[in-house]
Parts: sequence; structure tokens; C-alpha cells
Amino acid sequence: MNLGTVTLGRSMLARLLLGTALVFGIASAPETLAQSSLSQSGLVGQPEGITIITDPAQWPKTFNEAPQLAELVKQGKLPPVKDRLPEDLMVIKPVREIGKYGGTWRRGFTGPGDDENGNRLNASDRPLLVDHTGAKPNPSLAKAWKMSDDGKTFTLFLRKGLKWSDGAPMTANDFVFWFEDIYSNKDILPQGIPDMTPQGKPGRIVKVDDYTVNFVFDVPFYLFEDLMAGDTLIGGGQAVRQSNKRSHGAYAPAHYLKQFLPKYAGGVEAANAAAKAEGFDTWLTRFHAKKDWTLNPALPVLGPWRTVQPINNAIWVMERNPFYWVVDPAGNQLPYLDRVTMTLAENLEVLNLRAMAGEYDLQERHIDIGKLPVILENQTRGKYKVHLDLALNGTDAIYHFNQSFEADPEIAKWLRNADFRRALSLAVDRKQLNETFWLGVATPGSTAPGEALPYFPGPGWREKWSTFDQKKANEMLDAIGLAKKDAQGFRVRTDNGQRLRLQVQAVQAFLPWPKISEMVADQWAKVGIQADVRDTERNLAFTRTQNNEHHIMVWNNGGTELLYLFPRHAIPVDPTEAFMGPEHAKWFNSGGTQGKKPDDPNIMKIFELYQSAAGQKSDDRVKTAQEIWKILIDQQYAIGTVGQSPALMGVRLVSERLGNVPSRNCIAQHCRTPGGAHPETWYYKN
Amino acid sequence: MIAYIVRRLILALLTIWAISVVTFVIIQLPPGDFVDAYIVQLSASGSVVRFEEAQALRQLYGLDQPVWVQYGKWIIRVVQGDFGASMEWNRPVTEVIGDRLWMTIVISFAAIIITWGIALPIGIYSAVRQYSFADYIFTFVGFVGIAVPNFLLALIIMYFGFKLFDLNIGGLFSSDYQLAPWSWGKVWDLMKHLPLPAVILALAGTAQLIRIMRANLLDELRRPYVTTARARGLVEWRVVMKYPVRAALNPFASTIGYLLPFVVSGSIVISLVLSLPTVGPLLLRALLAQDMFLAGTIVLLLGILTVIGTFISDLILMWIDPRIRAGMHE
Amino acid sequence: MSGAVADQAVPLVTAAEEKIAIASQLQLTWWRLRRHRLAVASGVLVILFYLVAVFADFLAITSPHATNSARSYIPPQTIHWFDEDGSFKPHVYALKGRRDMRTFKLVYAPDPSDKRYLAWFVEGYGYELFGLIATKRHLLGIDRGVPEDALFLLGTDQLGRDVWSRLMLATRTSLTIGLVGVALSLFLGVLLGGISGLYGGAIDTVIQRIIEVLRSIPTIPLWMGLAAALPNDWSVIQVYMAITVIISLIGWTELARVVRGRFLALREEDFVTAAELAGASRLRIIFRHMVPSFMSHIIAAISLALPAMIISETTLSFLGLGLRPPAISWGVLLQDAQDIQALALAPWLLVVAVPVIVVILAFNFLGDGLRDAADPYG
Repeated sequence: MNLGTVTLGRSMLARLLLGTALVFGIASAPETLAQSSLSQSGLVGQPEGITIITDPAQWPKTFNEAPQLAELVKQGKLPPVKDRLPEDLMVIKPVREIGKYGGTWRRGFTGPGDDENGNRLNASDRPLLVDHTGAKPNPSLAKAWKMSDDGKTFTLFLRKGLKWSDGAPMTANDFVFWFEDIYSNKDILPQGIPDMTPQGKPGRIVKVDDYTVNFVFDVPFYLFEDLMAGDTLIGGGQAVRQSNKRSHGAYAPAHYLKQFLPKYAGGVEAANAAAKAEGFDTWLTRFHAKKDWTLNPALPVLGPWRTVQPINNAIWVMERNPFYWVVDPAGNQLPYLDRVTMTLAENLEVLNLRAMAGEYDLQERHIDIGKLPVILENQTRGKYKVHLDLALNGTDAIYHFNQSFEADPEIAKWLRNADFRRALSLAVDRKQLNETFWLGVATPGSTAPGEALPYFPGPGWREKWSTFDQKKANEMLDAIGLAKKDAQGFRVRTDNGQRLRLQVQAVQAFLPWPKISEMVADQWAKVGIQADVRDTERNLAFTRTQNNEHHIMVWNNGGTELLYLFPRHAIPVDPTEAFMGPEHAKWFNSGGTQGKKPDDPNIMKIFELYQSAAGQKSDDRVKTAQEIWKILIDQQYAIGTVGQSPALMGVRLVSERLGNVPSRNCIAQHCRTPGGAHPETWYYKN
Repeated sequence: MIAYIVRRLILALLTIWAISVVTFVIIQLPPGDFVDAYIVQLSASGSVVRFEEAQALRQLYGLDQPVWVQYGKWIIRVVQGDFGASMEWNRPVTEVIGDRLWMTIVISFAAIIITWGIALPIGIYSAVRQYSFADYIFTFVGFVGIAVPNFLLALIIMYFGFKLFDLNIGGLFSSDYQLAPWSWGKVWDLMKHLPLPAVILALAGTAQLIRIMRANLLDELRRPYVTTARARGLVEWRVVMKYPVRAALNPFASTIGYLLPFVVSGSIVISLVLSLPTVGPLLLRALLAQDMFLAGTIVLLLGILTVIGTFISDLILMWIDPRIRAGMHE
Repeated sequence: MSGAVADQAVPLVTAAEEKIAIASQLQLTWWRLRRHRLAVASGVLVILFYLVAVFADFLAITSPHATNSARSYIPPQTIHWFDEDGSFKPHVYALKGRRDMRTFKLVYAPDPSDKRYLAWFVEGYGYELFGLIATKRHLLGIDRGVPEDALFLLGTDQLGRDVWSRLMLATRTSLTIGLVGVALSLFLGVLLGGISGLYGGAIDTVIQRIIEVLRSIPTIPLWMGLAAALPNDWSVIQVYMAITVIISLIGWTELARVVRGRFLALREEDFVTAAELAGASRLRIIFRHMVPSFMSHIIAAISLALPAMIISETTLSFLGLGLRPPAISWGVLLQDAQDIQALALAPWLLVVAVPVIVVILAFNFLGDGLRDAADPYG
């Protein structure tokens, strides 16, 4: 079967690989000082990943299955393995060797809100899934895809013979069902999504034949291909996009879910009655519960493991999907591991302690980088090996200046002054932050995405305005009108002569942002700027930012490395979290009817560039993204400190017994860590 | 007497209703709603909620309606026995609480038994042998129990237990038994894990109890009637036990009622640190996430238990101290 | 308790007994207290702690906010008391630190060739003594170089800040912050509990029901809601004070119930009836006559309330709700010690627990002593 054109041009690919080599191998840039001491530790591996065998001539002709499935076949409860697998096989060559069946993978989770913990294990249920570098999309659920030359039609080629976990065939009808009965149903989803609505014109899903689906748009929408490959509402796959009361994901098991919708259940009354009989309020709440793979063991799924004991218990148990459509080159139906059990930990200290005791077999989620020395200490005792995986986003602690702040005109004036922001950026001693909080393993610099990605703006942009230069910072602050200082040496306001005080809002989340901010505040004090760090409770912090009350908000910019897929921590386009300008985001998102239009021409330029990108082809899109990054970094709307770190899911504890685990994971949202490392190929060596 | 009880019951119902209103309002007090808290929680763990998903959720939960409407809907259902579903756990509230309730009661009872069993005898001894060496020792140990913040103690014990003794970390069962159905083996496993949390829970309470018991008994022992009893030749331990101890227990009666809600809620902080599957952490999570029905139901439950507890307290007070009963009849 | 027989020829009372007979209750209390040596010692200790609170900056060595990654997680330094020639010249060795990239731990090696001698009344960071006098004098420092770089009596925290200096400032915050709340709770508790117990009947019922409602209120969302409602630009400490005051308005219930119980028992006593017959007002009866007879309970309650305030501050900090950095209090410092890496890599951070325990013990012993001394039957 032909694969169709992979849209990354060959020059692009070459550039990617070269970039990768620069970062991971040869040290040339000054920042790789961090990497060279890091390589001393022996904890950072080489990037490696599975290979997909696309040539049918090399596919296995005979197949094997797990012993318990073979038993069920013998009892007549399951069709034979050859009939369970699709004609259009997915053949994955594991990283190292062919594995063995058996074993339970133990992990820790933090409660029913932690569905991502399991969603990501089933990341292969997406139409496309990026490879281990995070740069190249691979076929997954779909065997191939194609973007038309005019950009108005995107085609997914499905696998013939692919079956849901209950044996029913998976076809284009499942896509159409989702589009017509879920996406278009205003009771379920009150509004459309940007992923399907380029330039405000809604697109639609059209069935071509049983195994071919078209996404049709009225205007060129080349970006859609990236959206399909990323962690987005349209491309995310069933596991993540339909759990926890979400209803996106482009497809859904029509044959199972139809019975819960009024259209097929005999009307709203009948559907409600049926719901009440089962203990639900309305048909809608019942529908949400039934389509959630983490809650409903009866739901047909497509990933390697399906839930047998739901997530809202103290232990979340998953078992192998007998109809999983992936085999290894020897014909063994994957996954190798029989079960996954997740045990509840009420707080993160306990979870980390259990990990150190060796109670988990592979855990990267919720592991605290601050505990790295203790984790290393316990390697022999816990019988695991530690891997450090570096992320692709520019900074783990980004300081957003609220560009739409209004309550205090003097403060607003300075927040909107580019030189003010640049000076503060130069006053930050990133090396100190790196040492203290990232144990020296991360990369100091600006907010730009990692050098390995095509979106990296170019040489010099990691350092621009992001080095440590107290002298220049002082000069710049003096020059813009803040030269006057009070008796303690702090600069005073120009309106009333009192001390200028900036509020830095920091939340204690997966990184110790309040502590980091204390250090930054101390550094800013040395150039005469007083920053009051507000260690704010989470909900309150978010409410305040949404009400446009904050001066500076600290967060990380994970996800922005693929700017178009997750822009909200780089540019103010999503009102849910728009730390750099909530009113501007409202204005942009509502098409100008709400919020406030930005005065700053640079921000308007960013909006313009961002909007134009959807209709641009890949090369142009990348250039546009680079333009946006250049503006962002030059204007320093947000100060980047330290990034490309293992802080978020990058400290990985791997049991000595597990095989086929790559020595290095891709850490990024769209890599669906650890899904991108294909856990279905992992197995227990003993 | 009957009239008194009936009056108290009516008042109890009124009180519980007041509690429900105040509780509901206060739970809604923090800014934002469940969807906001949900978004924040996901963001803070590195996940993502899209704007459109949030809107869909808000519509689903009807969180856009005014507080008093939401309260009205809730209380009507509660009165009918329908406590709603927890938004976080996606299960009926009664199930979520029920799962944990037994564990909580077991642990709390263990803590209470340890506390009272140790504290009362020591308190009595301390008072009787005031200023003796043993008195100083017990007092000192007692105070240390109050003084050391017990969540710190819990964390220290957990870590060093792991480091030095290979103790199981947190929770009430070892990993093999957690999934297994109830059996004698599982009960024994529970017994093995119970002492640590129960002792830590009991520590602070023990110290307090010792001090108060000692103080009260000292007060009583200085009364004239005690001297009289001694002068009349009563054996020392009868002198102490027959009336002074009973009178010394009087102030406890005022507070014994509060044990009832404690039995159900346990200690939030220690349960959190030790990751015990009790109601305490459940309540904390629900409050932080603004999971209205779950939080509201738990607090209402605790409120009802408080009211019942006060009632029991007053009855005990009347029974113990005849002076109060005499005053009642006026 | 003289029981002297009237028709004896000896003087009815000795001079000493006369002194006792006419002494006020306060004097009696003081004399009795003096005999309880442990309580007196505790009292002295409490006063010392409050002195530390007043002179916190003077006793601190380095600025409590000065961060430096090069000083992160330094263990407490050993002070060498004598020089090689045997003279008494306390000094410490300067430290060189690096991170071991195998274990990722920070390793500090003292450099014996680089001695820093301790000195008294040195110049350090600037502050305002009593909030009025600007000065730079501190009790302790080193003779050359910056104390920030060399003197760490109790080690440093993750950000390289001196634990000793932060401890001094934490003492000030923690000891002062509970006073207002306790005072309020005390007043309301005695007043309302007294009224409840004395009057009985309908008033008692209403107050008791209010108590039940107040006791059932979950404080955590209340705390969260209040924190949100208070103005944005209030300092962390102002917010905490405000919330403490509000919470005290709920916290008086415990004491009220105990007081009520005692009142119910006491109101049948003869001296109360006598006072009523003499025409004393209700309030006077409560505060002048009844309260002193269970003064011991009230004292026991205060002596437990202040430490309870301290403990609740630390607990709230643990839950992320109380005092937060950059404020410095015992609760905030305990937060630093509250995770596994601190226990494993920097256990000296736990030293904060020591003053907490000592102060609480001291308050308790003092309270015990006061209770014993104030007991009218003693």
C-alpha cells in the first residue's frame, strides 16, 4: 500500500536531523556546557525509537498471541488471532528485541482527575502519532494520509479489517457518526472548534468509502495536517478526547454509543427514562459516563489496554485488548504486557517515596526532579534505573507581563514598556536558577523552542535579551525614567515618588515557582526593582488572571514548541489561560466583540501572522512561526529563564526487569509521553 | 424530661438546616467553580483543557445558575435521600464516602481507644502523685506530644521507616492485599498497618487529655469533701476514684460529643501525609476542587454528627453532675 | 484555714498570716507561682523568646532574603574555638562547593587555609531597630568578607539563605501573630459561655445552637474564600492577621462550651446567690465572682490556645493556606523541611521544630504553674 506523501520536505527533514545532532551529540554552542556535565552523569540516553515496517513484503505471515487469549480461542470465546488482526497491519519493530508475553505494569496515579496517566499509554489510538524525535508524524490508527494541493481536503486512509476491542469492525462510519451525532449535537457540544473551523467557516467529515475519510473545508487549511498529528481536539484520539466528559477526537464507536443517544433511543423522553433507570440524571450524563474508557469497561476501544476496574477506585486496572491491531516483526500480537495497575497516592511525597521503594515498574509522571539525588541513592534498593529525558520547550519558569493590565496606570505603563521588560530579563541570573532548581541539567535562555525543532528562530535567539548583565539592566532602567531611588536603593514610581512594587503571582504546582520567584525577586532587588512574590493558591491565581488583576504571572511554556497546536502560553489567543493579556485574548477569541484591542502594534502583528498561518503550507508556516518567536523574544513579553529540562515527566524510573524501553523519551505534549515510546512493545525480561 | 428531648430534637433539625445553608454558601465562597478548579488542576499537572471543552462542561453542570437556585435544587434532593454524584469521582456521593467510611471509623476508634486508654490513667496518676518524678516525666512526654507538629512527625516516621526498616509507605494495606477481597489475611494485614497511623493520630490528643485530666482532678482533690473523706478513714484509691474522678470527668462530657464527628472525619492532615484512604483527605480534595455535592454532603454529615454529639454531651453532663439536673428542673 | 479558737490567749494571727489574709488575689497568685520553679523557669524562657522576637534583626547574621545557588544546602558549620596557638579565637573555615554529577548532590569542602574569625557587633545588612532606628549592627559576624558567604551556624536552605537568620525572623512573626486571635477567642468564649451557663433557658439554647453551626463550618473553604476577598495589595502578613481575626470569631466555641459547663455547675453555689441578693449585676457576677473560681480553667485554656495557634499556623502552611513565602514564620520554615529531599539531604532544616517545641512546652509549663497558683483551693 502506498503511504502517500509525507509532507515534511526532505530539506526540512535534513535540517531536523542536523539540528538533532547538534543538540544531542556534538557540543558547539555555549549552552551545551549543561549538556556536557549532564553527559558525565550517564543519565541522558541517546534518542532511539521503534521502526514501522511499511513494506508488506516484510510482514509476518503467521501470528502468535498471549497464552490467555489462546486459551479463550480454544474455548471458542474469541476468534483466532489471524481474524482479529486487520489486513492492513501495523508492524512495529521494537527498539531492541522481540519480547515475551506476560507481567503487570505497576504505576502510581493521583485520582480520577489523573486520567492522562492512562490516556497516554493508549496514545496509539490516534490517527497519527509522532515519532521518537517529536518532529515527524507517523501513521498510527490511520495507515496513511494526504493533504490535497489546494489545502481544502485532508484524507485519512484507514486500515482494512481493523476491529474495535469487542470485535466489531472500525470504519469510516465511526468518523461520520462522531461528526454528525456528537460534534454537531448542540446538547453535547455547544460550539464548534477552531480545529474544524478555519477562518470561521465550518468544515465537515465526508465518507468516501468504508476505509477512506475526508475532512473537507471551504478555505485552504494546510495547518490541519499538523493539527491531526498534534495533541489537539481533533487529532487526540478516543482515549484522551472522550474521557472525563470530553467529546472530541474525530471518531467514536458508533455501534456501541448509538443506543445512548436520543436520536437512536426513541427520543429524549425515552433516553432520559433509560438513564434514570440506571441511576443517571439525564441521557447526557449517562452518555458522558458510557463513552469514557476510564469509567466504562464495556466501551469498545482501540488502544493496547482497556479498563477493567475504573479510574474512580483506589486501584485502576487495565488489561490487554484482544483485538489490538499491532504486531511485531515475528508476528506476535502486541502488547506484551498483560496488565497495567495504577495505585492511588493521596499526595506526591508518598508517590515519589513508593517509586523509590521500587513499587512502580516504570514511572515518569509525578516524579519530582528536586528529589533526584535521593532517587539516585535508592536505585539499587528499588531495582530501577534512572533516565533523564529533556523536554523541547524553551522555559519551565516563564514570567508573563500582563499587557492588558489596567488597575494601576503607573504599573501598566511599565509593564507595557519593552525596555523595562528587557532590563528585568537581563537582571535574571539564569545560571543560579539552573543550579538551584534544575540541579544544573537544564538550558538557560529565552522562551524559544528547542533548537532541535524547525520552529527555533535561529542562532542568537536563545541568548537575545536573556543573558546576565546587571550593568546593562541598571543602565536601561535609568534611561527609561526610573533612575530615582529611595533610601533603601529601590527605584520609585514616577507618579507619586513611592517605591515601585511589582506583584509576581506564583503557584505551587509541578514546579516550585514561588521559590524560584523568590530567587528572581532577590536578583531584581539588586537592580533596584522590588518584586512582591505572591504564593497564591491555585484556583485563586487563575481567577485573578482571568479578571486581569495580575502584574506578572509565572508558569511554564510547555506545548508552545509547536506554536500552532498549543499557543496559549506564548501568545494571547486562548482566554482559558492568557497570562500575557487576558483582555487581548478575549478580544481575539471573540472576533473583536469582547475584551480589549491591543494598542501595541507588535501584538497586532502577532495576531495577524498567527491567523495567516492556517492557510499557509508547511514551509511558510514554519517561517511565520519563527517570525512570531522573534517578535516575542525581542519584545520580551515574557521572560524565559531555564528550559529543555527533565522537570516535567523527564525523570524516569525504569525497572531493571523491563526490556525494549528506549534510553531516551521525547518529552513534549504531542509526544504523549510516555505513549510516544510505544509501551505496547515493552516486556519483562524475567 | 421527655419534653426536653422533644424540644432538643426540633432544635436539632433547625440547626442542621442552618448548617446546610451556611455550608453550601461557604463551599461556594472561593472564587471560581468546579470547572475552573478542574481546569487549574489539570494545568498544574501538565495537562490541558481546551476552551471549548470547558464551555461544554459548564453547560453540563449548570454551574451558571445563581447560588440559591443551586442550593434549593441540592437540598430538595438531599431530603429525598439523593445526595447526587461527585463531579470528580463520577460516582454517587454515597458510594464515594461509603468506601472510605469504614476505614475512617476503624482508624479513629483505634486512635480514641489508645488516647483514652493511655491518657486517663496517666492523668489520674499525675494528679495523685503531683510533683513526683513520674509526674514530671509524664507531663513532659505529654507536652512533647502536643508540641511536635504531627504532620511533620508523620512524614519523618514514614521516611525513616522506609529508609531503615523497609516499612510499607503510607496506605493501610500492602500491595498484595490491596486488590484482594476481604479475608483473614487481609484483616491481619490491616492490623499490621494500623498501629502507626493510629499512634500518630493519638499523640496530640493524648497529651491534651493528660493535662486536662490532671488539672481537673487536682482541682477536685483540693476540695473540702476530699479532706473529709480522708479524715473519715476511706481508703486512698476509693477517695480518689469514687467522686473526684467523676467530677473531674465533667468538663470532658462537654467535649465528648465532638469525638463523634472526629470519628468520621479523622485527621485530615495526617491522613494526607500518610495517604490513608479516609474521609479526611476526601473532604480536602472535594473542598479544593469545589466538588459541591461531595463536599456538601460530607460537611452536612459532620454537622449532623456534631449536633448529635452535642446532644449526647448534654445528656451525659446531666447524668454525671446532679447539680445540673437539679438546675434543669427550675 | 486557720480554725483558731476564739477564746485562746495567743494572738489570733501572726504577722505573716496577716499579710496573707489581706493580700490581693494577684499577690497571692504571684507568691504561689514563685514556688513552682519549673513554671518560673518557663516564664523566663518565654520572656527570652519574646526578646528574640523584638531583637530579631540584631541577632540575625545575614539578610534573610539573600539567595545564592553557590551556597545551597550547606550543612551547619563547625566552629573551631581555639586557634593553633591555643588562644580563644573562634573561627570557621570558608567553604568550596561543587555538584557531584554522579549523585547530583552538592558537596562542600572546608578550606582550612581560609579562616574567618568570628566578631561581635559587626556591620551587616541594614534594618530598623524597633522599627524606628536605622542601623546595620548585628550581634555576630565575621571579621572580614561578607557574612553572607562564610558564616552558617545552622546551615543554609535550598536557595542558599542562612537558616539561623531566618529562624530569628520567623520567631518574631510566629510569636506575635497568635496574640490577637487568642485574646479575641478568650473574650468571646468567656462572655458567651458565661451568659449561656448563667442564664440558661432560651438564651442558652440559642447560643448553643449557634455554636453548633459555627463548629460545623469547614474552615478550609472559608480560609480560601476570605483570602480571595481581601484586597490584592495587602501584604501576606496583613492577610493572615485578618483571616486569623475572622477565624477567632469562630474559634471561641471550644472555650465557651467548657465555661458553660462550669457555670451550670457553679450557679447553684452560695456565693453566687449571695451576690445576686446583694444586688450585683449579671455581668459583675460573671466576671468578678464566678470567673475567678475557675480561673484555673481559663488559664489552662490560654496556655493551650497560644501554642494551638502556633500549631495551626504550621498546619495551614502545610496545606498551602496559611502564611506563605516570602513571609518568614515557623510554619513557612517547616514547609522547607516538609519533603523527602529535605529529610534526606538537608535534615538540619528540621531544627525549626526545636524552638516550636520549646516554646510550646514553656507556655504549657507556665500555664500549669499559673493554674496551680491561681487555684483558690490550693
